[in-house]
Amino acid sequence: MLIKVPLSWLREYVEINVGVDELALKLHMSSTEVKGVERPWWDDRIRTARVEKLAKHPNADKLLLATVDFGAGNPKTVVTGATNLHEGAIVPYADEGATIIDGHTGERATLRGKPMRGIKSEGMVLSQKELGLGEDHEGIYILDPKLPVGALLREVLGETVLALELQPNRPDCLGIVGVAREVAALLGTSLWEPPVERLDPSAPKDLDVRIEDQRACPRFAAALLTGVRIGPSPAWMQTRLVAAGMRPIDNVVDITNYVMLELGQPLHAYDRRRLRGGALVARQARRGESLRTLDSMDRVLPEGTLVIADAERALGIAGILGGEDSEIREDTTTVALECASFEPRGIGRTATKLGLQGSSGSAAARRFSWELSPELVPIALARACRLLREHAGAKVEGVVDRYPNPRPRVNVRMRFSDVPRVMGIDIDHGETLDILRRLQFTAAADGDTLVATPPVVRTDIAIAEDIVEEVGRIAGYDRLPTRIPDGPLPLAERHRLEEFRERARDGLAGFGLQEIVSYSLVDPAWLVRLTADGSCIAPEPLRVVNPTTVSQSVARPTLRPSLLDTARRNLRNRSSVAIFEIAPIYLPRRADLPEERWTIGIVLAGNAQPVKEGETWLVGERRFDVRDLQGIVLGLAELLDVESSGDRSANVPGLHPGRSIGFGHGGRTYLVAGQLDPRVAEMWELPAETFIAEIDLAVWHESSRPPRVTAPPRFPAALRDLAVVVDEATPYGDIEREIQAAGGKDLESVSLLDLYRGQQTGAGKKSFAVRLVLRSATGTLGEPDVERLVKRVTGRLQHAVGATIRA
Amino acid sequence: MVGEDLKELADRALAEIGAAADEATLEAARVKYLGRKEGALTEATKRIAKLPPAEKPAYGAAVNAAKSRIEQALDQRARALRAKSLELDLGAEREDLTLPPRRVRVGRLHPITQTIREVSRIFGTLGFETVEGPEIEWDYYAFEALNIPAGHPAREKWQTLWISNPLGDDPSRPILGRPHTSPMQVRVMEKRKPPIRVVIPGRCYRYEATDAIRESIFFQYEGLAIDEKLNMADLKGTLYAFARQVFGSDRKIRFRVDYFPFTEPSAEIAFDCFACQGRDPECRVCGGDGWIEAAGCGMVHPDVLRRVGYDPARYQGFAFGGGIERLAMLRTGAPDIRLFYQNDLRYLEQF
Repeated sequence: MLIKVPLSWLREYVEINVGVDELALKLHMSSTEVKGVERPWWDDRIRTARVEKLAKHPNADKLLLATVDFGAGNPKTVVTGATNLHEGAIVPYADEGATIIDGHTGERATLRGKPMRGIKSEGMVLSQKELGLGEDHEGIYILDPKLPVGALLREVLGETVLALELQPNRPDCLGIVGVAREVAALLGTSLWEPPVERLDPSAPKDLDVRIEDQRACPRFAAALLTGVRIGPSPAWMQTRLVAAGMRPIDNVVDITNYVMLELGQPLHAYDRRRLRGGALVARQARRGESLRTLDSMDRVLPEGTLVIADAERALGIAGILGGEDSEIREDTTTVALECASFEPRGIGRTATKLGLQGSSGSAAARRFSWELSPELVPIALARACRLLREHAGAKVEGVVDRYPNPRPRVNVRMRFSDVPRVMGIDIDHGETLDILRRLQFTAAADGDTLVATPPVVRTDIAIAEDIVEEVGRIAGYDRLPTRIPDGPLPLAERHRLEEFRERARDGLAGFGLQEIVSYSLVDPAWLVRLTADGSCIAPEPLRVVNPTTVSQSVARPTLRPSLLDTARRNLRNRSSVAIFEIAPIYLPRRADLPEERWTIGIVLAGNAQPVKEGETWLVGERRFDVRDLQGIVLGLAELLDVESSGDRSANVPGLHPGRSIGFGHGGRTYLVAGQLDPRVAEMWELPAETFIAEIDLAVWHESSRPPRVTAPPRFPAALRDLAVVVDEATPYGDIEREIQAAGGKDLESVSLLDLYRGQQTGAGKKSFAVRLVLRSATGTLGEPDVERLVKRVTGRLQHAVGATIRA
Repeated sequence: MVGEDLKELADRALAEIGAAADEATLEAARVKYLGRKEGALTEATKRIAKLPPAEKPAYGAAVNAAKSRIEQALDQRARALRAKSLELDLGAEREDLTLPPRRVRVGRLHPITQTIREVSRIFGTLGFETVEGPEIEWDYYAFEALNIPAGHPAREKWQTLWISNPLGDDPSRPILGRPHTSPMQVRVMEKRKPPIRVVIPGRCYRYEATDAIRESIFFQYEGLAIDEKLNMADLKGTLYAFARQVFGSDRKIRFRVDYFPFTEPSAEIAFDCFACQGRDPECRVCGGDGWIEAAGCGMVHPDVLRRVGYDPARYQGFAFGGGIERLAMLRTGAPDIRLFYQNDLRYLEQF
């Protein structure tokens, strides 16, 4: 959580004896992340000015002409649309040429005088936003009327501000006093606490508090204040609130905000007149109970919501958002001031349910969802009472503080040697004790035993490691030595599937394909664009409940749409795409996490020649065809020693029915390859000849056999060429399979020399010219052996596939 | 013809052979002297049969000597002429090798893959085994087991994409896209006993607006090392060794205190900028502050150890985690994280 700490405010509680850059670095290194140091940057053209005269713009109803004196002798006329100006007001004024923040872009810009509805504005009166002080752009920033006219704004209002990003383990630093405590520890300087009201412990007649749910609200205190006069808060307070990023409202609200920024503890003020009955009650919301909150929204309170209620109804959502009905009004005179401690997880959960979590949600909820110390409650209440007396004329009628089960003090028992054991830095007892003292811990030492008690505001300290970190971080992590760990090394396991996967990556890249990595969450609309009829090729996907965009709202159950989309986008600017991706697909399982099934996806489309765009001088134009895809898939199988098996299916959803193939094992399809259905290709603006393969990596891995090698052959081979004439419908694979079956161990290989259709083969027939390589491992094959083998092969072909053999 | 004549004949032949400028002239000379029909020496050989027996041996020897000399000379000359003609041919056969080649297609691995391999390789040399785990994860492993219960303010750091199962959701066991690789710390420790040294690369998800350095789908690497005495100095050394390998020698390493609910103490590591060495206030790599934040890290929290059944009094160790894309960007000067996922081949082909 980002907080802004004006340096002058911080100095009120701690002595700072180093420059701001050194301070920022020390804070940053020791855990308080410094996002930036904002320095006053206003130039000499930005000064205080008094509004001398206000007049209507002659040509525009909504614009005013303000004559302002900024001490230069000649008052200037500016055009403004602001409605909060009055004559005599002291305002920031920028003359032409000044650098200000552009209210619309948020960027720094040079102010140029320009005519508005016919009248030239000679300068500009500024809002807080234009000065970079906050987001408030509605009205002009009205300054302390006591400020001199014509003073450099930089000098009277300029603040150096530390922007600190706090982590939720340090709720104590949500208040500037907490940051001061850090600074005091880091610099070893003195710390002063802010003055508080001495409160009479007697309860007021007219106000009580009651806790119905002690777990959700461990401590609840309130003060009753009478004689309150609502008005603006003092100028110095407004300046600080603005510098810290808050908008001044009125003295009561400003004081609660001021105390929150100072101590970290939020408070809430109620108009006592609106409370029914004599008590504020912390209780669970009733079923269906609703409330109109300060943001003018009617909210039905979800189950488990803690509310602050009066005798009859909920007044506000505890720790998150007040109700509209009981808010402070201009005529409020009696105030019930609530200061309480809430269980942080409950606040976090409720804020999330109401959409009020995070940086754009409720400021109180963010603080209360951190573990604020209940010990802050009486301090913050007394501090607020004092400021209300001083700046709102309030009289404290009494306070009530319910804290039925005070939190036990934390005493961490540990050994001094835990520090070097965990940190690896040698820090001696003396330094350890000194650091703890500077952090306001109390510490008792007995030999190697140390008992450390953190200050009550430090709710993050519970175990020895916490103390070790405190000592280490104040000593400085730059003292950590650099060691390469020795000690016992674990025996690593093999991860064969992952090794196999990486071999596949290398193989495909080696074949010339470019690897892609695409989003694993995809558009659900993509999944119904993978077949001509819109039917799904994959099971119903897992959905993202809260997607950032619909185009990333389901976990992809197939790689296909990502591949097609990538091919489509690339083919806009090139003629050839040969890509692959190896990634998991997500397949839902009942009552379990999904199966993450690693899959290889390949797409080829366009120009098959590996040429530079337009380079055709050496190779002719050739488009990818299905044989290219086959070559890559079979080449990869060979490279990975995959012995393919399983059932072949011809009809693969989404692919061209006549130019695709699928393989499955027990109903699980593990490989599909072929031409994309041209109708699908058209939907993706892809060429009709787009080729795609998807391979289930685990199945391939299972069927991969480590190669068993033999020495190269010692005896010569005999070659025999055959022409095998078969019916057009007979696939080549059948021919090769039969030859292999008949050839036995002396048939080394079969190659296809040619495929011929024509007059010699006759109608409805085709002729395969094949070459048999025959070789024996035990000797040179003689002519009779060769003849016998060939005869066996031809006989089998005639018998099994009705082939005619021609020599 | 007597022996002297034969010698003269051979001398003449040799002169002619030596003067032959091309293979045709040489062939003519061969025919002239050794030709089967009318070659001078063939004639002389035929004559042997007609000589008286006493003269035959001497004459025969002279014929053979002359023949052998001529054959040798022919052979020598033929080789010389062939060498010369080959030389001429080679001089004439020219290819312009500045013309483009018959190209092969060059495929590359995606920079994410390259970086993951680099991370695995480097930590591998330090004894870390690469393991992987599920991207779609139980809330328990992503948060609960890491000291981040529901409603914990630290969840803000890990804005979550929640996942719904079409086969039915169990509200008591929500699932999500893991917002970091840290769940694997717990999964690994549940399965193994110390000593442990693992590194876990993998895809993560966050509910986050994307910009030049942030993606809602991205990759991280996680490290975990547990034994009986590992401490923050070992952590620093390990990450220092890593930085040297990735960014070159003599990197400075900076630890600053940070907060993660599942480590105590916690730190954030930064390396001094390899591009500007901290000297350029306008440096685009480090943003001018001279340091490059690389990873969050710390000593595994005793509660986390206890939850997986390790005795924190006996075992201790460290964990770290950082972004893969960030490393890839730093290593290659890649300007925008989103380009990694657009898969424009004109971009990917540069890696």
